[in-house]
Amino acid sequence: MEAEGLAPSPPAPRATQIRRLYFDLLGLPPTPAEVNAYLDDRQPGAYTRLVERVFASPHYGERWGRHWLDLARYADSDGYEKDRPRPHAWRYRNWVIDALNADMPFDRFSQLQLAGDMVADASVEDRVASGFHRNTLHNTEGGTDKEEDRVKKTVDRTNTMGTVWLGMTVGCAQCHSHKYDPLTQREYYQLFSFFNSIDEVDISAPLPLEATRYNEAKAAFDKAHRPLTEQVARYVSEQLPAAQQAWEATSPQATVVWRPVDPTTAKSKHGAELVKQDDLSLLATGTNTVADVYTVETVVPAGEPLTGIRLEVLPDESLTKQGPGRADNGNFVLTTFRLLTVPTAEKAAAPTEIPLQGAKADFSQMDWPIAAAINENPDDGWAVKPQFGQRHVATFELQQPLVVDQETRLTFVIDQKYQGKSHNLGRFRLAITTASPPHALEGFPSDVADILAIAKADRSAEQAERLRAHFQTIDPELAKLKKAVAEHANLAPAESSVRAQTVVQTSTARQAKIHIRGDFLNQGEPVESLPPAVLHEARARGETLDRLDLAAWLFADENPLMARVTVNRIWQRLFGMGIVETVDDFGTQSDPPSHPDLLDWLASEFHRQRFSLKQIQRTIVLSNTYRQSSATRPELLEVDPENRLLARQSRRRVEAEVIRDMALSVSGLLVPQLGGPSVRPPQPTEYSGLTYANSAKWAVSKGGDAYRRGLYTFFQRTSPYPMLMTFDSPDSTECCAERSLSNTPLQALTLWNDPAFFECAQRFGRRLLVETADVEDSAEGLRSRAALAVQLCLARIPSDGELQDVMELYLDQQRLLASDAAAAKSILGKTSLPADASASELAAWIIVGRTLMNLDEFITKE
Amino acid sequence: MDRLESAWQQTRREFLTSSASGLGAAALTSLLAREGVMAATLDASNPLAPKLPHFPPQAKQCIFILPAGAPSHLDLFDPKPKLHELHGQKPPESLVKNVRFAFVKKETAVLAGSARKFTRHGECGMELSDFLPHLGTCADDICLIRSMHTDAFNHHPAQLMMTSGVPRFGRPSLGSWLNYGLGSESDNLPGYVVLTAGRGSSGGVSNWSSGFFPSTYEGVVFRSTGEPVLNLNNPPGVSTDMQRRGLETISKLNARRLDQLGDPEIASRIASYELAFRMQAAAPELIDLSDESRQTLDLYGVTRPEPKKFSYRGGGAHVYQQFATNCLLARRLIERGVRFVTLVHASWDHHSNIDEELGYNAGMADQPIAGLIKDLKQRGLLDTTLLIFAGEFGRTPLWENRGGNQGAKVGRDHHPFGFSVFIAGGGAKGGVVHGETDEIGWAPVKDPVHVNDFHATIMHLFGFDHLRFAHRFRGLNVRLTDQGGKVVRELLA
Repeated sequence: MEAEGLAPSPPAPRATQIRRLYFDLLGLPPTPAEVNAYLDDRQPGAYTRLVERVFASPHYGERWGRHWLDLARYADSDGYEKDRPRPHAWRYRNWVIDALNADMPFDRFSQLQLAGDMVADASVEDRVASGFHRNTLHNTEGGTDKEEDRVKKTVDRTNTMGTVWLGMTVGCAQCHSHKYDPLTQREYYQLFSFFNSIDEVDISAPLPLEATRYNEAKAAFDKAHRPLTEQVARYVSEQLPAAQQAWEATSPQATVVWRPVDPTTAKSKHGAELVKQDDLSLLATGTNTVADVYTVETVVPAGEPLTGIRLEVLPDESLTKQGPGRADNGNFVLTTFRLLTVPTAEKAAAPTEIPLQGAKADFSQMDWPIAAAINENPDDGWAVKPQFGQRHVATFELQQPLVVDQETRLTFVIDQKYQGKSHNLGRFRLAITTASPPHALEGFPSDVADILAIAKADRSAEQAERLRAHFQTIDPELAKLKKAVAEHANLAPAESSVRAQTVVQTSTARQAKIHIRGDFLNQGEPVESLPPAVLHEARARGETLDRLDLAAWLFADENPLMARVTVNRIWQRLFGMGIVETVDDFGTQSDPPSHPDLLDWLASEFHRQRFSLKQIQRTIVLSNTYRQSSATRPELLEVDPENRLLARQSRRRVEAEVIRDMALSVSGLLVPQLGGPSVRPPQPTEYSGLTYANSAKWAVSKGGDAYRRGLYTFFQRTSPYPMLMTFDSPDSTECCAERSLSNTPLQALTLWNDPAFFECAQRFGRRLLVETADVEDSAEGLRSRAALAVQLCLARIPSDGELQDVMELYLDQQRLLASDAAAAKSILGKTSLPADASASELAAWIIVGRTLMNLDEFITKE
Repeated sequence: MDRLESAWQQTRREFLTSSASGLGAAALTSLLAREGVMAATLDASNPLAPKLPHFPPQAKQCIFILPAGAPSHLDLFDPKPKLHELHGQKPPESLVKNVRFAFVKKETAVLAGSARKFTRHGECGMELSDFLPHLGTCADDICLIRSMHTDAFNHHPAQLMMTSGVPRFGRPSLGSWLNYGLGSESDNLPGYVVLTAGRGSSGGVSNWSSGFFPSTYEGVVFRSTGEPVLNLNNPPGVSTDMQRRGLETISKLNARRLDQLGDPEIASRIASYELAFRMQAAAPELIDLSDESRQTLDLYGVTRPEPKKFSYRGGGAHVYQQFATNCLLARRLIERGVRFVTLVHASWDHHSNIDEELGYNAGMADQPIAGLIKDLKQRGLLDTTLLIFAGEFGRTPLWENRGGNQGAKVGRDHHPFGFSVFIAGGGAKGGVVHGETDEIGWAPVKDPVHVNDFHATIMHLFGFDHLRFAHRFRGLNVRLTDQGGKVVRELLA
């Protein structure tokens, strides 16, 4: 600069300084109160104190996290034709934000992203960091070659590492060596080899706070739960035996005894097979296409009159949802249940129908009661949705006890004529009883009845145990205690359902080979993992170099590139242009640095400050160079139009996300919640129709999630949020070190008319009136309102001329709207009118807000 | 070094600051002093200001019709009697040995002749399928290439190959290159407009991406429902008059800042807002077809009845009307000076039921495209407008037998080794059939044309030497034709 005879620019006005700092470090505008506090701080060191305050904000991690996500080619979907959503991608983004807020040293930050899965005792957080490698595109289009896709990802991982940490476009050597490039094709595949043995896994990854909270809640729960389970154990060992004795002493014979039916035949009308199980139940297998009728026969000897039938429907592993039915959801519909009988001696006799009554069941689906199984209507019946996968019981009384004075054949007809569908029983068991009704659903199993009939002293150990086990199922006191345990168990804290995309090293390494002309099907010589020869050597921890060694190699003192590339990129974020202008290319073909000494000094500072990102950023933002005015001077335009000499700050439009955040922020709509899953603010409905076969559904987020910062907007690769793309967000298909910066009519239309921005203007108008409620309706009052409007949007006091323009616009529009009530009403939309304000006033302030939010200065860091 | 190239070698900022040192308050004052703020401002602050190519061009504007999903060359453009003869037989081992397919199972694959009848058209006697009767009437204006081949066999990469020259993301599309190189002749519409019909394409917005160029050069989607351009309409209650009044204040306040800080970017912003305001009037006028005659509407088939049975793959109800309307809008855009119009329709991915569904799509496309060629011609626009019809690849001369089985309604698989495209107007030679595939339509045997060659030829028609038309990015000189490309002279009139 001195050589060109140029003097540096004076410091920017204080208002510009604070707005610049907020944009650069937080991506949000300062509030008028924050601006005033800074303007009023006349003590020495005010700027330094401001810098410290700003660095302490958690929004810092969001701002610099978004910069990092550009490099990490972060997105919420796979890309390519199918472009499936990635519901866990955000977990990596959260890690980035947290790590930056904590000022994790850049070597650790890098190591974990390159090889977090390989560090000693890798924690969940370390593994989440390795999700860096999972941000590649992923092709699930039909007919895709999986190996080709894996190679493409590996190439992307290699190239991304080159751009991010070496500032080198290594990908040029993918197909063949170039004359002037520092990397040969062999060296390219040696780098490729580091990433060639990666496998992708999704893991359970509770958020750090979530994990802590869960552990605390679980401990508290366990503490409360233990006494309840202990109480049960105590009761079983101390009081249960006495209770059982008392029970045995009463007359258990009074209870119903269910005798299982041993089927002699079991048939299906439509070709299913009913297979008898050891417990005498029947399991349906084979065909299950239509409504079926099962017919089960058994023979009973002469004995006491039969009074009831029990049908148990049972779960089974072989059934969908474990049954008990064979429908897709595990249900069945028993439309009619019948009992027919014929004495075995009378071979040709027609069977007699035995009428049933008093049907009961332990559970019935709503509108599908058990009584429907024995009524006249063949279309209704008994079903058990949603209690699938468990046993249910139904009992039927015989209208008249069936006298069995000779051996008799019983035929049970199980009809399941449910709309012709295959809602058939999967597994069931029948039993009969001679007890007098009403029958308890459970009663005694016959084996228990048999044991009870044996004198206590004569029972075998096995029989005693069976009895004990049975009593445990019926003792009311124990049931009460167990119920208490079960009810309390419902209060157990839920484990986090959060998952993360991560990588692991394959168990056996994949041998990398040179791909001739970059074609993965045309493989040449095998290569080992090695860094480029033009750089320093790497040290292997084991026999061969791996990703963890690569991370260490990048941060070795001998590496001239990493620190320069990193500080250069930081410089570029803060000045709009790198010291080396090609921030992603430090190759031999790149442009020479404008200030080589400065670059070297910053790089050594970065080393000295142990790779603290905040520290190197602090060093820069505290410098006089950073604090200069961005106004151009005629002599600068002449000598240094691109501002390579840094004789002023640069003036640049802010990024897409910041523009959104600004509008939400000044209107008061912003929901500043940190982290969490991606959100879907409203967008035109047909927009996602541009994706393949409308594959990307856009379910608009409810409530506050519609007003989150731009970096949380769900990034669907084949149909990104239009506003972001209009303002040059990277498409996230590959590592992006520097965004392009366009200035288009579509941007004007977006800021003017996008409903999201107009909503901001509406809320802004209201905010303005509310915050100046005490201002009088006078020329002076108008003036102070207009001044506040400008201050909210631009964080500075307007000039007289500017105020004049704004007031004229207001008066003009207000006059127009006062005579057009319908227009004023439309402009207000859902905005409620503050007390003492008229619709035309509010509408005119909305228009003023909309105008100010469309100024070049509004979206520009000066 | 010619004028344009030297202009490219400067950044826009350099260009501005070195040529317009006086730009600032003075320039702005005069700007604002003109007819309100409505005056055209085709000044140096406009990155879309018209520029000249390397040598005098034949073509000045382009309509690119992208039948996404890849139409079957064998059933539309490339008759293969021999394939018909061999129908049902196994393909020669030598052909399929080293070939990857998306879905075809090699072991049971059989050759599949076309059910179509091909007839000769025009004085040139170009053979086209009975699915394309209307295009047949334009045969003498069409330049048909039957020897195309590409590098990618999945839709998305192959579409990127066709639209941006490489089967990867991140490169500018053809329309972006041309807007970057030539600027826009329209002062109230974007230089690059995209119209879509049917279902979304595999490539989505990446098919009209500006890649590493600023979004200034990206395709702007004109929408089929609602406002023609996203956010074109003012919010409810804001009249055109209020909008103009607001624009005046924006321009005045921006001019004050420009005066104070001297940043030329502010002048660009003022120009953008003025163009946006003019677009708000021009875009609705563009899509209003009430000034088109009955004859013209019928020429394109805008009011044809939709087929009774619609094809879901082809886009469903109303797609005939939509596509015909888009073709007519393409002409209106060309008339208004728009540099590049992309018409996308999806999908032509006929893995099954090809006879019925390709018939549906061809029925949709045939008349409107023929109408467009004739209409451009009768209005004297065809000479300088290049029309392109090109899918991402062709389809196999084998029946698809996904899972080893051949379904009842057969189709064809992806086929990058040989396919057909056509161009018309803009300096392309009419009535020409270029190149040949072998007798089963597998791969070119005469005059093969790679996608990079195709692009090189297009660039040539627009007056560019594709080898010199490059942009430095990540240390490489990047061009549309990547590492390849050779101008196919035989296609030039």
